[in-house]
Parts: sequence; structure tokens; C-alpha cells
Amino acid sequence: MTATLTRPGTETNGTPAAARRRRRNRIRPGTILVASLLAFGTIVPFLAVFILALSPEGARTIPFQLPDEWTLDNLIAVLTARNFLRWTLNTTIYSIVSVVLVLITAAMAGYAFAKKRFPGREIMFWSFLATLMVPTQATIIPLFVLVARLEGIDTFWGLIVPTLANSQAVFLMRQFIMGLPDELFEAAKIDGAREWSIFWRIVLPLTTPILATLGIFVFLWHWNDFLWPLIIAQTDEMRTLTVGLASLNQEAVSQARLMAAAAITVIPCLVVFAVLQRYIVNSVAASGIKG
Amino acid sequence: MTSTTPVSALGRQKRRGSTTAARSGMWAGILFVLPMLVLFVIFRFVPSLGAIGMSLTDYKLSGDYSVVWFDNYTRMIADDVFLGALTTTLVYAAIYVPLVVVVSMVTALVLNRLVWGTGFFRGALFLPYVTSFVLAAVIWLWIFASDGLVNGLLTEAGVDPYPFLTGNQAQVLTSLAVVSAWRGFGYSMLILLAGLKNIPDDLLESATLDGANATQRFFRIVLPLLRPVVFFVLVIETIAAFQVFDTIYVMTGGGPSRASYSLVYALYDQGFKFFDFGYAAAIGVAIFLLVFVISLIQRRFLDRSNT
Repeated sequence: MTATLTRPGTETNGTPAAARRRRRNRIRPGTILVASLLAFGTIVPFLAVFILALSPEGARTIPFQLPDEWTLDNLIAVLTARNFLRWTLNTTIYSIVSVVLVLITAAMAGYAFAKKRFPGREIMFWSFLATLMVPTQATIIPLFVLVARLEGIDTFWGLIVPTLANSQAVFLMRQFIMGLPDELFEAAKIDGAREWSIFWRIVLPLTTPILATLGIFVFLWHWNDFLWPLIIAQTDEMRTLTVGLASLNQEAVSQARLMAAAAITVIPCLVVFAVLQRYIVNSVAASGIKG
Repeated sequence: MTSTTPVSALGRQKRRGSTTAARSGMWAGILFVLPMLVLFVIFRFVPSLGAIGMSLTDYKLSGDYSVVWFDNYTRMIADDVFLGALTTTLVYAAIYVPLVVVVSMVTALVLNRLVWGTGFFRGALFLPYVTSFVLAAVIWLWIFASDGLVNGLLTEAGVDPYPFLTGNQAQVLTSLAVVSAWRGFGYSMLILLAGLKNIPDDLLESATLDGANATQRFFRIVLPLLRPVVFFVLVIETIAAFQVFDTIYVMTGGGPSRASYSLVYALYDQGFKFFDFGYAAAIGVAIFLLVFVISLIQRRFLDRSNT
């Protein structure tokens, strides 16, 4: 805590409000220093991953020092080794397909809960929400047995479909659509629009902001997901990047190779974050999305 | 819905129209909710009931089972491995929750005081949250390993290496809590920051004029006003603590000698190493009950101190 208080009574000129504004807008070097130290602690580990990934194999990395020469060998070796590209493809399919399917089904359900009346609406909505109380780990055994019975082990549908029942997504879509004026939908109906085209032409375009926010989070959840892909992917071919990275960690892979794999795993997250940072950060505070 | 009070001359016709509209709206509602409903019934409700059902059987990999009623639960109370995992998880939560809440609070307070570079620092501090626990674990393994970065520096400085991941339970669980907190504090930080922004400046101004120092302002004004937000953060972080798995799986594999063997790890082992699905399901039910009871206690505790 830096002590930058102005003593009472030193506000000689201007109104108290102006003095307050001046005080509030004062740049506090101490605060910036503390913030910089904290940011150092969050950024440097990522820099370390990339530096180690670009260091020659067997280079001295402890205590930390920059390599004498930089190399792409590790990245190339990892990308061409075994199933790494396959894992990347799996993760991409898992994330992208999940995003599209969650957004469509959650928007449909959110629209129905917000603007339609049908029997069982309330109880259905609240029982969806109640599932937020149940940790996924608590149901993962019966879920695994169910998917196994349906022959979904080692398949994409077994990986993707069970993760689509997302109560947070439904809740956020409902809240957002409830805020849209009824007149819009009535006007569309008077113009003769069918329900499905109302959904595609009115609901989806108007919910773009919340769809984008949710899309980012669903992408990150799936890209970073671990336990479910770990138990569903039984062959090396079906692994996702997180599962693959964990398995590389267990094998006797060199530090440089492991960090190269880690770097490739994290790049999409960093790109998504760099491009959409303000959007992501604001939406957490506004909507309380929790991964 | 007051829009259905039409001109009386058109009353009858309109009413008939609106009932057909309502009926078609009803069917549309059902059709629109149907895909999600099917997903929820099959992949949420059935497994939730299934967890309870399976926990009363000795369900095996082959699919054969017989009902054993509460055998899994009586076995659980006598099982040293399970009880050890329960203790480990409680100790871990006792370390992780205060750590992550304090870090989130401190970083939120710092961000709230910034008037310059806010966007950059917010983004930088939130950065680890967009990555996976697995990635965080891989990075911190390089930092915490016995031949890792910190111990390399310690050796260089002539200090004995510190057993981050090989020491006693408190040492290992603290290291794991640091990694999980590093990866996860950004979310709680943003929630607390949003709460801080809602505290009116005037209150703090007048307290300052009355001679309250920063500590007094924090404990007398900021914290009481922030109580609901702090409660929310406490609940979600406690639940996160009981679900810890990824970090442990990558960094210690539950070791050394079960020092970091958490409940979810025990569930994973019973289910996917020993294929004892009935027992694993019972552990899942226990995790659910534990999380449920803890959030009830927290709610009660905070409600009471609120009045």
C-alpha cells in the first residue's frame, strides 16, 4: 500500500470534488511497481516455455539463461513425431464442433425459456440450473459406462456429445433473450415468419454479443479440458493435446521437446486471448462465466 | 403479458387467434428446448441418478453387477486409502482456498488503484486463466522439480534444495496449491474487482477525511460491503479445491507415498485403474455430498455474520 493521501485541508484551490478527482487520478508509482511484479509472475512462465522450446536439446536451462543459439528443431520434431498433429486436429475438432453445437442448442433452449410458454417450462429450467450443483466428477463413472454402452469410447461423438449439456450456456442465453423486446418477435410473426426463420434471422443475429462471449469460453473450456478426454481417449490416436501433453510428460521426453509441445498447445489460447482480451475480461465481471 | 387485451369489437376473433398462436408458440417452445432437454436427460440426469444407483452395486467393467446396498459406503469409512484421500483433499482445500482468495483480493485491490496501464495489467494477470491446468503443471514442474529452476538457483546460492514435490504432505500440497492458484486466481480477481468498482468513492473519501488509514478502510468499509462477492468467490474456490485433479496427475501422480492423493484421484484410480465402478461411483457421491455440505456451511456462516 502506498501512502499517497493528501492531508485534509491542503486543498487550497478548487472545489473538494476537483481535489478528489486530482487525487484519484494521481499515478501511484508504488502501485505500478507491485502490479508489474505480479504481471512478471504471470507472464514470465509463458516466456520461459517459448525460450526453452526454442533452445537446443540438452542446453543448460537451470539456472535459467538464454540459449546461445535458437532453433526450431524441437518444434519440428514434436510436430512430426507420432500423433502430435493428430492430437492437435482432435482438440480442434473437439473445441470447434462443441462451440457450434453448444451455441445452437443453448440459444434454442434459451429462446424457448425466455419467450415461449409451454408446460413444464419452469421446472425444466430450474432442474437444468440445479445440475450446476453437481460436480462433473461425481457423475463421471456412470457417464463413462453409459457412453461405453453406446459404443462411444474412442469416438468423436463420445468425446463431444456428453459435454454439450451446458447449464451455464442455457442460463446466459435465457437471461440475454429475456431482455429483447417481445414486439420484435411479434412483428416478425405478423410478417409471416416461421419459428425457425425467426430463430435464424432474429434471435441469432440479436444475440451475437453473448454468443461470441460464450463461444470464447466454450472454446477455452474444451481446448483445456482434461479428465473427460483422458478417460474417453483410450488409443493414442484419439488423444487431445492436454492428454497428449500429460502423456509426453510421463515419458522420457527431453525438456526442450516437452516445452515445444507445451508451446504448441498454448498458442491458440494465447492468440484467442490477445485478440479478444478486453471482451473476455469484461464478460467475466458482467456475466460471471466460470470455467 | 398485457398485450392480449384487444379492441372489444374484435374480441372473439382475436381471442381465437391468440389461442392458436399460443398453442403454436407452445409447440415451438417444446421443439426449441428439445435438443438441450434430450442432452440433459441423457448426459446429466441419468448419470446423476446412475451415480447413486451404481454406488449401491458392485458394478464391474464387464457390466455384471449385483446389488450390495451400502457395502461401498461401509467399505469407504473403513478404507484407509479413501480416508487418506479425504484428509488430503481437506488439507489441500485449507491451503488452497485462503491462498487463492488472498491473492485474488490483493491483485484486485492493486488493479483497482491503477490509473495507468489498467488494460495491460488486467490482461497480464488474467493470462494464466486462459490456459489449462496441465500446461500450468508442466511449466511449474520445470520450476519446482528437485533438479528444477528454483532448486538450481538455491544450489547455486549455496542453500539446500527445497523438497517442493518430494517433501512431506504440507510441502507438496502447498506447491500444488500454488500452481492451481497461479492458474486460477484471475477469475476470482475479476469478480472481486467488479465488486470493488461498485463501492462508492464518497464513502472511502469521507473515511479518509475522518482519519481512517488504508487498513482500517479495508476492514471497516471495503470488506463488509464486499461480503456477498467474497462469499461467492469462497464458494467457487472451495468447490474447485475439492475437484483438484489435473495438476496432481501431471506433477506428482498422487505421491510421494500418497501425500497428494486427492478424492478425485482416488475416484479415477478406482474407476479406470481397478475398474471398480461401483466403489468409484460411491466416491463420486461422497464428493458431491462434501461439496454440497461445505457450501451450505459457508452460506450459513456468512449469513449469520451478515446480521
